[in-house]
Amino acid sequence: MRYGMVIDLKRCIGCTGCSVVCKAENATPPGVLWLRVIKHESGKYPQVRRISIPLQCMHCAEPPCLEVCPTGATFQHPNGIVDIDADKCVGCRYCMMACPYDQRFFNAEMRYYFQEHPTPFEQVGYQRHQEGVVSKCNFCLPRLEKGLEPACVANCMTKARTFGDLDNPLSEISKLVRDRGGYQLYPELGTNPSIYYLPA
Amino acid sequence: MRERFRPQREWAEGRGLLLIFAHFLTGAGAGAWIFSLLFGFTPGLVAGFFLVVFGALAHFFFLGRPERFWRMLTGFGSSWISRGLAGMSLFMAAAFVYLLLWFFAARQTSLEQIFFALSLLGALWVVVYKGFVWASSKGIPLWNTPLVPALYISYALRGGAAVLMVLGSLGAQHAALGPLEPLKLWLAVSTAVLVLIYLEVMRGSGMTALRSVDLMLFGRVALPFYLGAVLVGLVIPIAIGGLAYARTVPPELLGLLGLLSLLGDLSIIYCIAKAGLYRPLPA
Repeated sequence: MRYGMVIDLKRCIGCTGCSVVCKAENATPPGVLWLRVIKHESGKYPQVRRISIPLQCMHCAEPPCLEVCPTGATFQHPNGIVDIDADKCVGCRYCMMACPYDQRFFNAEMRYYFQEHPTPFEQVGYQRHQEGVVSKCNFCLPRLEKGLEPACVANCMTKARTFGDLDNPLSEISKLVRDRGGYQLYPELGTNPSIYYLPA
Repeated sequence: MRERFRPQREWAEGRGLLLIFAHFLTGAGAGAWIFSLLFGFTPGLVAGFFLVVFGALAHFFFLGRPERFWRMLTGFGSSWISRGLAGMSLFMAAAFVYLLLWFFAARQTSLEQIFFALSLLGALWVVVYKGFVWASSKGIPLWNTPLVPALYISYALRGGAAVLMVLGSLGAQHAALGPLEPLKLWLAVSTAVLVLIYLEVMRGSGMTALRSVDLMLFGRVALPFYLGAVLVGLVIPIAIGGLAYARTVPPELLGLLGLLSLLGDLSIIYCIAKAGLYRPLPA
């Protein structure tokens, strides 16, 4: 079992709904963006294309962040999800330097979105976060444990995201990767990301 | 294209500056300890020990959760930060006992020899590990090269020699440091050559590393690079060192050489950290 995700760049319209729902689901503080959507332009006038590329933790099979972590706070679940035990993290940020995808975030101090006091939503949501530690996407592990898909997958309005088992050759995402030429970001680094992109 | 090279900020800005100071202080301190053991230079031993202690404190306060620092010893098998903490702990413990024996007990005992060896091992460890911390950072191509450990070792030894020269200029056992003067010049010249090789190699190591080098040579890191690392840290020390090689110069000038070298060491560590960029996304 190795959880993975396929993102169809032809379907993605760059609405950033996945970013918003990720924030809502995980109640991440300001400055912490586990999922972001970047805009990429290619070609030259008049043949110019603009595509939107969602980025989040790649949950690499060979995660460079894991081996540099001095405390074992970064670990890998048997299902392939790379996770952080916030109680073990010392906030050295070595993992942030090791991640070639720049998908880890340091929460130096707890800030609030509105004024100096937390909203009722933040009061509840921030119980999952600590100051002075690094955090990142965990494929919405609490949702997976309830049999649900990650929030970004469930809420994508164009169904650009597909979640499943990369180890199962019959799974939908394995078929998409195989049939549609799914590719990983920076495969030459040997990290073997679990997020594949389908060409736009 | 909106998303291109993203600078790393965590190890170069805000509290990240503590890490720069930590690596500078521990490098210079461990280097000073090594040379002081070689030359039997007591003030250098004391200064080296305290520099490493201050560096360790800077490391400590850099952490987001310093109260958990002890957990960092658990990743010894794969993490260079863990290995560094182990080395620093070994050094500080062994050096502390060695200094106690040096000042308060009989010298040339087998116990003193043991702590001499342990502190030397710890100091060498501290000198060596830092470069590997940066070099194993796969996300930053400018650092992810075997040349970085060589550069950091060179700078740590140079910094150690510089500390001794500063202390020597203050009148502390100046005669014991005679052999250090040509060594200091050699270290400065070899470091300058190493910096040139590093920059040239990194220019050919992919788009991101090239962009980082451009930042150092022509971009927002150019001022600290040219003023701090090149002029203050290399050109002036080499000129003074060359002068000292040809004719006798006053110890104050050698002290100035040491001080400028140290400023240069701090500058180059800052420049390399500040010029670190992540690869552009999308690939």
